Amino acid sequence: MGTIATIHEMLVKKQVSCTELTQRYLDAVEQANPALNAYVNVTPDTALATAAAVDKKIAAGEEIGALEGVPMTLKDNMSTKGIETTCCSKILTGYKPIFDATVWEILQEQNAVLLGKTNMDEFAMGSSCENSCFGGAANPFDTNYVAGGSSGGVSSAVGGNIAAYGLGSDTGGSIRQPASFCGVVGLKPTYGAVSRYGLIAYASSLDQIGPITKTVEDASLVFDAIAKKDKRDSTSVGGGNTYATLNRDIKGMKIGIAREYLDGVRDDVKEATLAAAEVYKSLGAEIVYFDLPVLKFALPVYYIIACAEASSNLGRYDGIRYGYKTAHYTGTHDMICRTRSEGFGEEVKRRILLGTYVLSAGYYDAYYKKATDLRGTIISAFNKAFEQCDVILAPTVPMTAFEKGHAVSDPIETYLTDICTVPVNIAGLPGVSVPCGFNAKGMPIGMQLIGKSFGEAQILNAAYRYQQAAPEKFRDTKWGVKL
Amino acid sequence: MVTREDVENIALLSKLFVPEEELDGLTKSMQEIIDFADAINNAPASAEGFDCINNLSNVFREDEVVPSYPSEEILRNAPAQAEDHFLVRNRE
Amino acid sequence: MKYELVSGFETHIELQTKTKIFCGCTTQFGGEPNTHCCPVCIGLPGTLPVLNREVVRFAIKAGLAVHGEIASVAKMDRKNYCYPDLSKAYQISQLYAPLIIGGYVELSSGKKIRLHHIHIEEDAGKLIHRHGDTYVDYNRGGVPLIEIVSEPDIRSVDEAREYVEKLQQVMRYIGISDCRMQEGSMRCDVNVSVRPEGSETFGTRTEIKNMNSITNIVKAMEYEYDRQVDLIESGGKVVQETLRYDDVSGTTSSMRSKEDAHDYRYFRDPDLVTINIPREEVEALRAEMPELPADKCRRYIDALGIPEKDAQLLTKYRRISEFFDAAIEGVKSPKTVSNFIIGQMFRRAETESDKEQFDLPTTPQQLNALVKLLDSGKIRNNLAKATLEKMLDTGKPATDFISESDMGGVDDNALLALCKAAIEGNAKAVADFRGGKEKALKALVGNVMKNSRGKADAQAAEAKIKELLG
Repeated sequence: MGTIATIHEMLVKKQVSCTELTQRYLDAVEQANPALNAYVNVTPDTALATAAAVDKKIAAGEEIGALEGVPMTLKDNMSTKGIETTCCSKILTGYKPIFDATVWEILQEQNAVLLGKTNMDEFAMGSSCENSCFGGAANPFDTNYVAGGSSGGVSSAVGGNIAAYGLGSDTGGSIRQPASFCGVVGLKPTYGAVSRYGLIAYASSLDQIGPITKTVEDASLVFDAIAKKDKRDSTSVGGGNTYATLNRDIKGMKIGIAREYLDGVRDDVKEATLAAAEVYKSLGAEIVYFDLPVLKFALPVYYIIACAEASSNLGRYDGIRYGYKTAHYTGTHDMICRTRSEGFGEEVKRRILLGTYVLSAGYYDAYYKKATDLRGTIISAFNKAFEQCDVILAPTVPMTAFEKGHAVSDPIETYLTDICTVPVNIAGLPGVSVPCGFNAKGMPIGMQLIGKSFGEAQILNAAYRYQQAAPEKFRDTKWGVKL
Repeated sequence: MVTREDVENIALLSKLFVPEEELDGLTKSMQEIIDFADAINNAPASAEGFDCINNLSNVFREDEVVPSYPSEEILRNAPAQAEDHFLVRNRE
Repeated sequence: MKYELVSGFETHIELQTKTKIFCGCTTQFGGEPNTHCCPVCIGLPGTLPVLNREVVRFAIKAGLAVHGEIASVAKMDRKNYCYPDLSKAYQISQLYAPLIIGGYVELSSGKKIRLHHIHIEEDAGKLIHRHGDTYVDYNRGGVPLIEIVSEPDIRSVDEAREYVEKLQQVMRYIGISDCRMQEGSMRCDVNVSVRPEGSETFGTRTEIKNMNSITNIVKAMEYEYDRQVDLIESGGKVVQETLRYDDVSGTTSSMRSKEDAHDYRYFRDPDLVTINIPREEVEALRAEMPELPADKCRRYIDALGIPEKDAQLLTKYRRISEFFDAAIEGVKSPKTVSNFIIGQMFRRAETESDKEQFDLPTTPQQLNALVKLLDSGKIRNNLAKATLEKMLDTGKPATDFISESDMGGVDDNALLALCKAAIEGNAKAVADFRGGKEKALKALVGNVMKNSRGKADAQAAEAKIKELLG
């Protein structure tokens, strides 16, 4: 499998040059992308220039880092200097940032080979990737199915072996859900672990960047690299240092299952999750059941807070400083309204309107204020839960990937697919989605391990031990580069 | 209860045009989402409250000048510019 | 019926920090358009604000200067409105937990104009309208501001003028702003309402936005007072609205348009963390505060015997009061120093900004040396005055203009002799004076001055002659 570890070893042993490897990936992108639609912008020049630099280092006998020369991708909401960054929205057409996101700055220092920018739901609002102005990304297990969202492009690319890994962002499940749908690993770090500087905001108090990878150790490697305190992000704390403890024995670890997480979950997903619990038992962990009744408010709390923040964050797209501008108008107000009405897609407009509504005079207390208060309640409920267990096990999504075109009809039904992922964002906790089985049609099922605040080491340790015990759940697809 | 007037007002605040023919549909759809959000009104009153995640405080910069960007960079992505300014023509 | 004016002020003051409130760009006034900008202050997607520590410190000083309560916990909020000068479509400001609560500004009458609060926020960019097109410059975007919100305690245009002057004075004293209204570093939104005299309830208020001179504030308030009174007298009703003042026509007009919906949807800015202000920090800042103008003025009157009017003039500008403080070191009469400063030096600092800088060629130490010569009787007042003019022209010390023989001066005995000689040698003048011609005295004094080659003190000579002539 084209994991980071495999590639690193091949480069170090000079089994392949970085340029050669990069070219193989670029060729694979060209071949697979028409079917997967994972990439919205391929950057061969950048990729090959970095690859050449890495080859030079190797030729000079210099040591290379774990991520050095490894072909990867970024979700198209991370700012890349001089490289178009659109959030898959018409309103950012042609926008080339004049600065780099902190995560991209860190990865460039490590000579990460950027193959291109990947597809997403417009402004990260969606669960299928179909709200992209470029059309949705396909699932590498079956292209009739969606890749999930919003980081669908990254998970499709990683699942389809046209990137060894990628960075996604997760506001209400946007890393974990597509990772689950595409049979790969997706880590949403603790809020503050990874700098948000340069990540185009959807909902600032919920957004967090994290890796989507083929294996747990890859997720750990990438997380350790990017989880650095950043003075440009006031909410940044840093983190990292998960790799050293990946293989620690989990005997005696208390794994909690909140009954509410299993409510309304489809049978195949529930069975796979409970089967994973059995694997953990066999590894010596203790399974603890408990109730987390406040979870039933998580979804409305999430939508109120996320939309409120989004309505404010997205006010700046006015056709004056960057991006799309309407062709015909009369007066500034008219220009701004036309630009926004033409530039934003339906779901984005819906969330802006909802967010404006819950913040507006007369509704602020009943919705926004109440939701933030409940956020406090949800946080303390999680704190109490972690008095009884070390890690919480839950399904990532109540179902497996749906067929293309299925999601768009009913917004609320679509919102419900986020039920298992949003609590983690509300509480700022880390969560990792790990493949744990397949349904009757062979589509992947993911389980979620949720940790205490800054408890990434613990959940990745638990995830890694599971991966070791159940390697058959990590199935490759027919696409892309075979190493 | 979300009214047509509510939707018109929030659309104006959001700087979005809602075509007359979409107004009723959007009002209905907003009402459904608001009904869904109303679930929180059954939630127990919170004693904890919420400040900010990780309870961070006092993150500051020192008052030291960092060189600004050249105006060509600042204006690089502007849909329209003139005389080193961002430009909004009255009509186009 | 007589109507009472009721007014409250929202005063924006740009802080003189080196850098903007949320990024490292310079706050310098002017500069080529869009050259004091970076991704943060033009609001590029993905950028984040980091609060400038100095802004918080300056705001706390402002709070201490107006006797406000410094909050122990403060937070930043977003004020959402869409306008081309606002690069993020929200202004980062404070609503729910401002830095400073309460406080007051005391007028010379002793009346206190109470303050509601003071908060910190970012300034917007600048729009230039030309032929209907709009040109946007974000150099000013992100410059730190404090907004001082008063209670509606102002009852006359005179009080309004004094309130603004007092704020300007104290904020300059503590060194947080130059408060130059013409450059926009101090701007006022003025709320005006009227009510029948004796009434306890407030009338409907209007808000005149963005006033940038005291003269215009006074004119606009007078106009608005008359307009509202006329409206009520003729049976109309004042509408609560935002107005702009046109200084050419001298009238106010509504800024409302159907495009502006006024609902700022304030909420906590999730990109910024809580500000905790330890009491020790407040005390440390308090210790750094200079003596405030009101305290200084009181001290000059009570301890130094300066007349109230002069004390107010001396304390109006911090630099002048500091000049005075340094120049009175060890002198017998501080009032003499004050007279020199007010009588001769003020003329040389013509403009407002000259007075603010008070950067004249003569140093306080040089003035101090001159006054000490006077104190010791080595020179006389008129020579000192003339010498000070020369000093101010050249920046040279007094001793450069006064010779040893000058400094021999004219002592009391010598003066007596000179006066006697003048009386004896000018019988006609003496007779005229005795006959009631006050002017004749001048001739006698002139004689004394001539014979002393100008070294005698004319006032002393006049007094002595009068004494001799009974």
